[in-house]
Amino acid sequence: MANVKVAVRVRPFSARESADGGRLAVKVEDKFVRIRNMKLDGRTEGAVDSREKLLEFCFDYCYWSVDPAEPHYASQEEVFQDLGVSVLSGASEGYNVCLFAYGQTGSGKTYTMMGTPESIGLTPRICQGLFRSEDNFPDGQNSSRVEISFLEIYNERVRDLLRGGEQKKRASLRVREHPEKGPYVQDLSQHVVSDCKQAMDLLEEGIANRITAATHNHDASSRSHAIFTIQYTQAILENNLPSETVSKINLVDLAGSERADPHYCRDRLTEGSNINKSLVTLGIVISALAQNSQMSNSCQSINSVASEGDGSTVGSHSSSLSGGGGGGGRRHCFIPYRDSVLTWLLKDSLGGNSKTIMIATVSPSANSYNETLSTLRYAAHARNIVNKPRVNEDANVRLIRELREEIDRLKSMLLSFEMQRNPSPSLSDERDGNLSEIVLQNELKVEQLTKDWSESWRDKKELLEQYSVDINRDRAGFLISSLQPHLVALDGDVLSTGVVFYHLRILPLLLLLFHSVLLEKLLRKGRSHLHRTSEPI
Amino acid sequence: MASVNSDEWRAVCDKFTNAQNLTEVESRNDPENDPFRSKYKARELLREIYCSLKSFEAGEGEEESGGESGEQRPTEQPVDGQREDGQGISGDSPAGMRAAKLGAVEYYLGVNHVDTEELSAGQEHLMNCMKLLDRCRVSSENVSLFIHVRNQLGILWAGRDETEMAQGFLETAESNYQRYMKEDGSPPIDMTEYFTSEENLLTHQERTKRFELAYTHTMYYLAQVYQNLGETERAATYCHSTLQRQLQLNQFNPMEWALNAATLSQYYITKGRYMEGRHCLSAATVISGLAGEVPSEAAAQESETESERREHLRQKRAEIARCWIKYCLNLLQDSKKLLEDNIGELDTDRQDELKRARRREEEEEEKGRKSALLFGSEDTFDSIASLEEKVLCLFPLDFTEARSVFLVGQNYVTQAKEYFQMDGYVTDHIEILQDHSSLFRALAFFEEDLERRCKMHKRRVDMLEPICNDLNSQYYLLIRRQLMFELAETYSEMMDLKLTLANRQADTQSLDNHTIKKFNSLCSASAKYFQMFLDSLCSPEGKFPEILEEEVLRPALVARFRVARLHSRLISSVPPVQLENLNRSLENYKYVVQYCEAHPEAAAAAETELELSKEMVGLLPLKINRLKARMAANN
Repeated sequence: MANVKVAVRVRPFSARESADGGRLAVKVEDKFVRIRNMKLDGRTEGAVDSREKLLEFCFDYCYWSVDPAEPHYASQEEVFQDLGVSVLSGASEGYNVCLFAYGQTGSGKTYTMMGTPESIGLTPRICQGLFRSEDNFPDGQNSSRVEISFLEIYNERVRDLLRGGEQKKRASLRVREHPEKGPYVQDLSQHVVSDCKQAMDLLEEGIANRITAATHNHDASSRSHAIFTIQYTQAILENNLPSETVSKINLVDLAGSERADPHYCRDRLTEGSNINKSLVTLGIVISALAQNSQMSNSCQSINSVASEGDGSTVGSHSSSLSGGGGGGGRRHCFIPYRDSVLTWLLKDSLGGNSKTIMIATVSPSANSYNETLSTLRYAAHARNIVNKPRVNEDANVRLIRELREEIDRLKSMLLSFEMQRNPSPSLSDERDGNLSEIVLQNELKVEQLTKDWSESWRDKKELLEQYSVDINRDRAGFLISSLQPHLVALDGDVLSTGVVFYHLRILPLLLLLFHSVLLEKLLRKGRSHLHRTSEPI
Repeated sequence: MASVNSDEWRAVCDKFTNAQNLTEVESRNDPENDPFRSKYKARELLREIYCSLKSFEAGEGEEESGGESGEQRPTEQPVDGQREDGQGISGDSPAGMRAAKLGAVEYYLGVNHVDTEELSAGQEHLMNCMKLLDRCRVSSENVSLFIHVRNQLGILWAGRDETEMAQGFLETAESNYQRYMKEDGSPPIDMTEYFTSEENLLTHQERTKRFELAYTHTMYYLAQVYQNLGETERAATYCHSTLQRQLQLNQFNPMEWALNAATLSQYYITKGRYMEGRHCLSAATVISGLAGEVPSEAAAQESETESERREHLRQKRAEIARCWIKYCLNLLQDSKKLLEDNIGELDTDRQDELKRARRREEEEEEKGRKSALLFGSEDTFDSIASLEEKVLCLFPLDFTEARSVFLVGQNYVTQAKEYFQMDGYVTDHIEILQDHSSLFRALAFFEEDLERRCKMHKRRVDMLEPICNDLNSQYYLLIRRQLMFELAETYSEMMDLKLTLANRQADTQSLDNHTIKKFNSLCSASAKYFQMFLDSLCSPEGKFPEILEEEVLRPALVARFRVARLHSRLISSVPPVQLENLNRSLENYKYVVQYCEAHPEAAAAAETELELSKEMVGLLPLKINRLKARMAANN
């Protein structure tokens, strides 16, 4: 999916890791990250599969930020130039953009997203970029509005980080969907900002609120997700018509312990063979049961759709009568399983028309091998987490059948042309291309034969129209405004002035008779035309 | 053994009560940096109890002249299983009681170790308990321990990915229970009672409750084991049994239970087992009623708990309604599949055949109901049955039957929409509307009157069209695509119906102007929505993608194909317009062919469409040239 890009960034050694000897387990080369399991190094070659020792992952971007002295060191600016700039360009095109940061606590997530005062991270740089691009437009041409909100999801409860003491302590904000504005958090405060400084102040205020909350529960920060949202509205004059594009930039700091994967919970239900002990989890087990059964069903249906038009439905009859399972095929069911709040809120990022960037941060140290590997594995399949609801489609058997009939008709038409031209009916492939040419020639001949009649028909009509115009214009002749049916007979000789009008003062029934008998005769002479009712001549 | 009233025994009992309290109550308050503090304390107490029991045994062993040594089993049996009872010490003998008590301490030690993440040690203790019990016949004194220890070993082995091992233990627990209930059935002693003074023994009712609960867990664990083994049908049966037992033993939360039953119905529906599906849903509806009245809006505004309760009840009931909708929808759709001929029309021969077979099915339904695992307690059984009677579980075979299923479904649509409103629940609301539309579509199949059939499709258009046009693509692109496709197909359907109707009414070949106008407008509307779908794939600059993503590949090719077809069907008497329509038709057929030539892997996604498009790309120029020739001749 082109709309999802995945990046990995390796942070410098921490003081403790350096003290431990600072052994590197991770290497970055171009778009590849390689990770080595040092524990297996000591063992003899034969006992360990070499694939286990060195694993390789490919990403859209890989950043080596271990040692600033190294030549391929990736600075904050470099990361911004790739990721931040594509966030900004996506937003200015009117896309919603979502940037996820994922990684173990202490792997440099906050440094990458927020940075330090000396070396600011993606979020402040994106804010700067937003206001910078705005400054570039001449006054009056363009104007834009930037609104900011900042929230935290902890234990499935949503908290506004920018409302200070106002909100009730326990109540969770409700997440809802609006047909026009998409998923939103009800009563979440929106703050209009006019420069980068204000945006940064809000960011800091929110972070401070997050930290205060964390002191109540020592583990809160690593278990809460934070979403900093910038709503960017551009007012543009397009062909002198005002138009507005709204795009949302979601910058998401994911908790280390949970994942943004909408199927994560469901996978967890099905993966492994651990038994849920408490009956409270019966619902999870049953959900997984129904889910799996639906999945295996829909897999079949995807394959069968393609052939459904082929009359295979006839074959399914016999099986469906005898089998208790009914007609088979797809059966869609509803599983009353609520997605996590995070998944819900980012629905459009994970399954809508938006651009999504994931950045995974890892430690270079051999000590963090397991954590790093799990982060890399997750990042490697991050592309697949995007929801892809499919279009359900009717199998339109009738359409296919009708088209087949038409094809047969056209083919037999083609064949008869071919027969006319060449009595031996051979429709070789090479000549297929020429056939339509042959048909064209044939058609032209046929048409030529009928042309005389139709041409003269049209000529006379034109002639008549000219006459009628002339007669009207000159006022010298007469204008017929008869409401009665009448016949106009034209002489065969163009130069002749003989135009004869017959008024038909007879009953409609007789007229019909007249029509069928007389008209035929007149037409056979080829010189007559019937006007009905009130058309003035 | 130390006499029941001796001080030593009292001390043992106190220690046990303490250990239980530490494990179940205190441990919840352990700090995170010392999460197993209370459990470690409990472990020490259990060890002391174990030593005491051993020392009592040593004292008594002399008196009883060690009658049991001969029966000691020689080898360890790690896998539980097929041991035939009928030999061994009887459970109520002093030796049997000693074994049970010691076994119980081993059991608690085992659970304690497992809880504190020392699995191997835990396993050892649990196996010691097994060994002790192995020497005894199952009786009311020890059957509860028999089942508990096997439950624990089942969980333990399942956690190690040794599902078959787990299965062995749990299935033996199951057969232990069944045999005991068949042969004895009296309320068995609970293990805690081994270490309780006589005045604190449990009532029969409490004993039964605990014992049955242990077996309910066995069922539940087996359900998961079978699911892990891929035996979904058995897993479903065990989930079903678990639910049934919860209800019978009155150990359930109504709303939670109802939702689980409703979810289970969805499993049955995907398997085409409508009788079971209907039973689960009826039970879900009845039991959800036990959760009480939904608090009024006024009450919800007064207090936060009432507001949350209102929200919760309304949501769950709406979710159960959505499960019902799927039931009705799938039943209708399956029936349609069963009855349609090769062009998707009602096959009357088949209808007659199925109607003749119906009587036999009805008898089977009755038989099936008797043998099925039914939900319900005395007071709910009748209401569940009467709810079941309100809707068919056999395939509807004619319009009247189909309509009755449709109406039930439509009623649940209304219920579900009350909670899942457009404002706030966009995606849920639309999914319900899509189901409603599908209900109409399935019902239309059974309607013989084409005029009315057309009106049903019109209803579908009326409910989907405004939403499709109002939704913001930025957030709901994929839903909009689904709606566009469905609208395009519905308009096509209506177009075909109008044509059939017109041909039926007018014997002559020619269609009157009004019909042509109507036909063309339906045809254009259909093409418009297919085109809208295709346009939705374009980049913001309006460029159609070079490579189609896998999930839109088939829909995009099909849409092109359908647009091609629709353009060649537009009726016009003006040759240049005809020519333009045919050219557009050819252009779209060509796209399908050329795309599949450039991307051979795409061909499999739309085989039939590709084959027909190829033919048309070869043949349509014939039609076009004829038209051109005629135009040339006429000029």
